[in-house]
Amino acid sequence: MIFAHTFRVVLAFLVLSGMLARFSVAESTSDALSTLRSIQPGDDKAQQAAAAASKQLSQAKDLKLMEVLKAMKGASPIGKNWLMGLANQLYRKSDAASKPELTAFLGDTSQDPEARYTVYRWVTDNDPETRGKFLDSMLEDPSLEIRFDAVAHAILKSEGASADQLKRILDAARHPTQIVEMIEKLKAVGVTVDQSQHMGFVTSWKLIGPFDNVGSDKFDVVYDVETDWLKGAVKERYSGKNGETQWLEHTTDSKEGQVDVAKLFNNEKGCIVYAATIVKVPSAIDCEVRVGCINAQKVWVNGELVIANEVYHTGAQIDQYAAPIKLKAGENRILVKVCQNEQKEAWAQDYSFQLRLCDATGKAITWNP
Amino acid sequence: MRPEKRSLGIPNTLSQHSKEPRALVEKVDPTMKMRIREIIKSSVLGYCSLGLLSGVLSRSGNSEDWTQFRGPGALGASATARLPDEFGGDASKNVAWKVKIPGRSAGGAIVVGDQVITTSSDAMDQRRIRLVSYSAADGKLLWEQQWIARGRPYCHPVSANAAPTPVSDGKRVFAFYSSNDIACVDLQGNPVWYRSLASDFPKAGNDVGMSSSPVVVDGVVIVQVECQGDSFVAGLSAEDGSILWKQDRPKKANWASPSIVKLPNGKNVVVVQSSEDLQAVTPADGKPVWRLELPCSTIPSSVADGNRLIVPAGGLTALDLSSAGEPSTLWKENKLNSNACSPVVAGKNVYVVNRTVLVCGDVYSGKILWQLRLPDAKQIWSSPVVAGDRLYLFSMEGLCFVVALDGEEGKIVQTNKIDDEVLGSPAIAGNAMFVRGANHLWKIATQ
Repeated sequence: MIFAHTFRVVLAFLVLSGMLARFSVAESTSDALSTLRSIQPGDDKAQQAAAAASKQLSQAKDLKLMEVLKAMKGASPIGKNWLMGLANQLYRKSDAASKPELTAFLGDTSQDPEARYTVYRWVTDNDPETRGKFLDSMLEDPSLEIRFDAVAHAILKSEGASADQLKRILDAARHPTQIVEMIEKLKAVGVTVDQSQHMGFVTSWKLIGPFDNVGSDKFDVVYDVETDWLKGAVKERYSGKNGETQWLEHTTDSKEGQVDVAKLFNNEKGCIVYAATIVKVPSAIDCEVRVGCINAQKVWVNGELVIANEVYHTGAQIDQYAAPIKLKAGENRILVKVCQNEQKEAWAQDYSFQLRLCDATGKAITWNP
Repeated sequence: MRPEKRSLGIPNTLSQHSKEPRALVEKVDPTMKMRIREIIKSSVLGYCSLGLLSGVLSRSGNSEDWTQFRGPGALGASATARLPDEFGGDASKNVAWKVKIPGRSAGGAIVVGDQVITTSSDAMDQRRIRLVSYSAADGKLLWEQQWIARGRPYCHPVSANAAPTPVSDGKRVFAFYSSNDIACVDLQGNPVWYRSLASDFPKAGNDVGMSSSPVVVDGVVIVQVECQGDSFVAGLSAEDGSILWKQDRPKKANWASPSIVKLPNGKNVVVVQSSEDLQAVTPADGKPVWRLELPCSTIPSSVADGNRLIVPAGGLTALDLSSAGEPSTLWKENKLNSNACSPVVAGKNVYVVNRTVLVCGDVYSGKILWQLRLPDAKQIWSSPVVAGDRLYLFSMEGLCFVVALDGEEGKIVQTNKIDDEVLGSPAIAGNAMFVRGANHLWKIATQ
């Protein structure tokens, strides 16, 4: 009798705890997803909370793959990676998400682009035929990753294509390597495209220098020319590292907008050169300034410091550094500070920069010098 | 390798742990059976099962495992392994299996139980960073994870965003990338935590590519992020990725990996090297134990051999760790110079690779014992490994020099070719070698 009574109590406890567990999990799944979606860098308490939330979600029986994929929309970049881990776990272990569901998600361009690319890879990694069919219709996809693959796919199929077909691929391309490749293909069929213009490189500059950077410790030294330019009132001449110096006008003919500062300033080492330009746009526009530079550099747009990297000779490429900016209607003043150190190695002699203006996808915006 | 004994067969394990609860259910009212089963499943027993399951599936390190860059103790050597001299080529001789992995890797693989785990980076700008696990027995994909690089993924074309070798504490795997993203999963590939160190410290990075491999000790993951921007070494909680400590380091590019050293008092310290110094810190809080103003190489890493620390500095420098306090210098030999590969210690010898010459020295004195030119090798990045009396050294173009170490001098007994670029150091487990090429994962074992 006592045993039976005890057993009933235990049973009641199990029933109750089961219900409570179900209730609390159902409620906190949403909270846990919110915790992951909102995590920001540099917050260790949030990191610990995210680890706890991820553990809970990882063990949740009722969490659905599509729920996690949809939660990526609007999540912070870091939060999306936490969710990505869960999505991979669910995709691997669950057959709850059917292929039609995933395909529908992939086709829904309102969903998070990175989530959609993840799904695209799941669906097509082992199915090249399906991948090809998808990519044929994805040249203009808002996901830059999908677009990149679609352009690569189109390039592969472009042998014997007409100039118009090649031009369409070029118009779709956003990644610099693909743009360059398509311009070469067009050239082969007799169509010349101005690469620096197509990519939005600024080619005309006024440069002044050299200013002292011996010891590579003048990155944050504010020379008069910098202050004056930011105020909008520059002088014709300034006192430089080797005496008086004046502005030099230069238009680069480099297809990639490279301004060879070393050549213009006699391979000066331990120095700083400023490059300035004005671009005019008909109306205010949100866009990006993107810089490739193997030397330490700062970039100001309309007086606001938007890029600063005190790094010398560790690689350079188009779009190495990017920052969102807002250009105002009319004139916009851009100033670049390029610093060279005193390394003597052959690989440490480059002193150059390239700068372009484009939208967030990498498509050049239109402006007038 | 004993894959059959360490199977990750989740259904079997679940079934095994559900036997006792079923016996309990049989004693109650039959009409309640279904409901009780469901309740039990979703509540207490569910949690118990999960606990038992994770207990069974999580495992402590095994002496045969190769859980980090350069394997057990980072020595790069297995005394007992027996590998074939001849492998690869057109006939794929002694290639037990080979799998193509999307993307590219410049790191090595690790072996944990019956899993071979490695990283790759693919898609646009190598922004998709992946962690994949294959069955050591047959190369079957066990699980995969992926994230998106939040730091700059750029690197020299030879390297890859997936350049550091992952590390495991036997329960979890920690994957670190050049873009300074770090992620932790359990041994089933389930996510544990993720962290973007490039978002925490936006100037951390090197566009030639970072490659320092993390280590894990005493529940702390140590990452060495040394560059011209935000330059630091940090200890992260293995449990949740929170930063336990961080110490600023010289603002200079550095690709060397931290090393774990066990002191005579039994305590572990982490040694980090740079072009300015060599420093030991405690893993738990990053407190300096000692610091030497010793300019070290910035690519090859140090190796701890008992009470000796062999440091790529001025050629090689051997330090005595047998007493408390700052270590003293045992010997220094500038001809034991290693430009890219980390030194390997096996028995009484230390081996370094000076461009395309293998150099053997006496680990007790630093005396040069022999040198061996490696014909046709163009560039070597992969640190060599020693299995028994053979040294295996891959050139970037996929040539593997098998060097017999049992004579007076080293002798190339075989030069093999595999159809892959090889930049990472191989892993050895049992009588197999796992080679992470840039595009494939290879298992080499006598067939």
